[in-house]
Amino acid sequence: MTTDPVLAVDDLKMHYVTQAGVVRAVDGVSFSVERGQSLGLVGESGCGKSSIAMTLLKLLPDNARLVAGSIALNGIDLVPLSEDEMRPHRWDRISMVFQAAMNSLDPVYRVGDQIVEALEAHSSSAGRDAMERVRELFDLVSLDPSYILRYPHEYSGGMRQRAIIAMALACEPDIIIADEPTTALDVIVQDHILREMQTIQHSLEMSMIYISHDMAVIAEVCDVVGVMYAGKLVEFGPTADVYARPIHPYTRALMSAFPSVRGEKHELVTLPGEPPNLLDPPGGCAFNPRCAYATDECRTTAPPIVKRGDQWAACWNPSDE
Amino acid sequence: MAKYLLKRSAQILVTLFVFLSLVFFIVNAQPGDVSNFYALNPDVPPETRERLQDLFGVNEPLWKQYLVHLKNTFTGNFGISFSHYPRSVADVIGERLPRTVVLFMTATALSFYLGFGLGKVVAWRRGGWFEYTSTVSGVTLYTVFTPWFGLMMIWLFAFKAGWFPIGKFLDPVLWRDAPIDANSVFTQMIITAFAVSFVVLTVFVITAQKRMSNARIIRIVSMVLATLAVVAVWMSWGTVSYAWDILRHMVLPVATLTLISFAGTMLLTRNSMLETMREDFVMAARAKGLPESAVRDKHVARNALLPVVTSFIFSLAFAVDGGVITESIFSWPGMGQTLVSATLTEDLPLAVGAFVFVGIFVLVAHLVADILYAYLDPRIRY
Repeated sequence: MTTDPVLAVDDLKMHYVTQAGVVRAVDGVSFSVERGQSLGLVGESGCGKSSIAMTLLKLLPDNARLVAGSIALNGIDLVPLSEDEMRPHRWDRISMVFQAAMNSLDPVYRVGDQIVEALEAHSSSAGRDAMERVRELFDLVSLDPSYILRYPHEYSGGMRQRAIIAMALACEPDIIIADEPTTALDVIVQDHILREMQTIQHSLEMSMIYISHDMAVIAEVCDVVGVMYAGKLVEFGPTADVYARPIHPYTRALMSAFPSVRGEKHELVTLPGEPPNLLDPPGGCAFNPRCAYATDECRTTAPPIVKRGDQWAACWNPSDE
Repeated sequence: MAKYLLKRSAQILVTLFVFLSLVFFIVNAQPGDVSNFYALNPDVPPETRERLQDLFGVNEPLWKQYLVHLKNTFTGNFGISFSHYPRSVADVIGERLPRTVVLFMTATALSFYLGFGLGKVVAWRRGGWFEYTSTVSGVTLYTVFTPWFGLMMIWLFAFKAGWFPIGKFLDPVLWRDAPIDANSVFTQMIITAFAVSFVVLTVFVITAQKRMSNARIIRIVSMVLATLAVVAVWMSWGTVSYAWDILRHMVLPVATLTLISFAGTMLLTRNSMLETMREDFVMAARAKGLPESAVRDKHVARNALLPVVTSFIFSLAFAVDGGVITESIFSWPGMGQTLVSATLTEDLPLAVGAFVFVGIFVLVAHLVADILYAYLDPRIRY
C-alpha cells in the first residue's frame, strides 16, 4: 500500500517519574501501521508493551511524561494535544480492547448502556438510534441481543470479551489497540474470538495493534510484528520473516521458549534472567546481560540497525542464518 | 424480591422480639417498682401503695409481667404516661416521633450529600489547599465534643447574631392565637416534603429508564411545577408563617447534626473513590472519550457510593443515639428528649414506649436501606 499510514509513531519516549528515579518505559519507539494492517507487539512482561498502548491514547498516570516523539493519527500529531482536544479522537478514531476485559465494564451499568455512552460521547445520535447501533454491534460479535440490557456480571468471560470488542468497534475507529485481548480466556474461546476479530477487521478495513506476550497469538493474526525489549523495539518486520528467520538473539530466545505444533520436536529453552530494571537499564544493548553472544561492544555502545529485506533488528551480532 | 421482603420482615420481627425482651428485663432489673415513688410520702398510706402495686401488676411473677408486656406491645397498648397524665404513651410518642424523624432525616440527608460531594471532589483533586481545608475542618468537627459545639452554635447564631431562635420547637408568642395546632402544621410540612420528593424521584427514575433525550428539560420543568404546586397549596392552607416558624427552629439543630457528622461520609467517600479510580473500567471510561466530569460522577462516584451506603446504614442507629444529646441542648421536643426526661422522672411506661419506638425506627430504616442497596448494586439480587 502506498497511502499514508493510519498511525505513524516516531521516536516516542514516555518516562515515568518515580521516587526511585526515571523509568524509561517507552524509549524511542518508531513504527507505522497502514490501513487494514495488523501489527503485533511482543515481549516479556514489563518491557513497555502496555505503556505504548496507554501512550497512544494519551491515557497516562500523573507521573508519566511524554518526553519526545510524535504520534500521527491520520496525519494529526496527538502529542501536543490538550486533554480536551484529545477527547474527540479517543474511541472515535482510536479505540482499545483492554488487557483486563473482565474488569473493563462498569459493574453497575447495563452493557448496552455502556456502549451507548461511548456512542453518545462522539455523535449526536442518541436514544433509539444508538440502541439500534448496539444491536448491530452485538450481531457483529455474535452476542445474543437479549444480553444488551443485562449487567456485566451476568456475562461469561468470553461474552464480556466480545462485548468489549463490540464497544471498541462502536464508533468505527481507524485503529484498534488490543492489549492482551484473549490472555484470560481458554484456548478454544481465544481462537474463536481472534478469528472473529480478524474477520471484522477485514470487512471494516480497520488497522489493529495486537499486544501480547503470546507468540502464537501474534503469529496467527498479525501481518507485521515488533519485538520489544526494555522499552525499545529490537526487531521489526513481516511476521512470516521474523518467525522464520529471527535476527535478534532475543527474538530467537522467545521463539525457542514457545512450542510449535508442526516441525520437529525440540526441547523448550527458557531464557534465564529477567527483563532489566528500566530505572537503570544496562548500557549499550539492554539485552547484553542475558545474551549468549554478548561482546564488549554490546556492553558499551548502542547497537546498529541491521536490515534484511523489510525486516530489521538492532544488534551487534545478528544471526546470519 | 417479594420473598426476600417477607423473609426480612420475619427477621425484623424476631429482632424486635429480642429487643422488647431486653428492654423489659433491663427496666425490671432496677430495684423497686412504681409504688416506690410514694414510699416516703406520709400522705400515701400503705393500703394505697398496695392498691397501686395491684393496679400495675408489679406483684405478679416476672414471667407473667413479661407476657403482659409483650401482649400489650404487640396490641399497641403502651399504657398511660405518668408525667403527661392523662395522655397515653402512644399519644405522646405519636406527637414526638415525627419531630425526631424529620430532624434526623433532614440532617442525615444533608450530611450525606455534603460528605459525598466533598469526598468526591477531594479524591479527584488530591493534594492542594481544598483537600487540606476540608479534611482538617471536617475531622475537627467530627471529633468535637457535641454538647459544646451545640452550645457554641446557639451562642454564635442565636444569642450573638440573633438569626435563629435559641431552642425549642416553636415560638409560643406567635402560636398563642394560632387557628391551628402545631402538630397539624407539622403534618402538613411532612406531607409536602414527601409529596415533593416522591414526584421528583419518580420523574428522575422514569426519565432515566425510558432513555429520553430531553430528560434534563423534563426534570427541570417537573421541578418548577412541583415548586409552584407547593406554593399554591400552602397559600390555600394559609399556614405559611407558622410553618416558617417551625423551619426557623429546625435550622440550628439540623446544622449542628450535619456539621458534626459529614466528615465521616467525606473521608469514607474519599477512600472509596481513590480505590475505585484504580479500576480498569475507569480507564475504559476515559478511553471512550468521556469528559472528566462524566468519568468522575457516572463511573467512579457511582461505584464508590456502594461502601459509603453500607456505612451509612450502620450510622443510622448512631444518629438516633446522638439525638438524645442534640435534642436536649436545643430543647427539641423529640424522642431523644422524651427518653431522657421519661427516665429522669421515672415515667416507666413512656420510657419503655420510647425505647420500643426508637428500636422499630432503626429496624425499619435498615430494611429501607437494604432495599435501596439492591437498587444501587445490580449484582445484588434477593
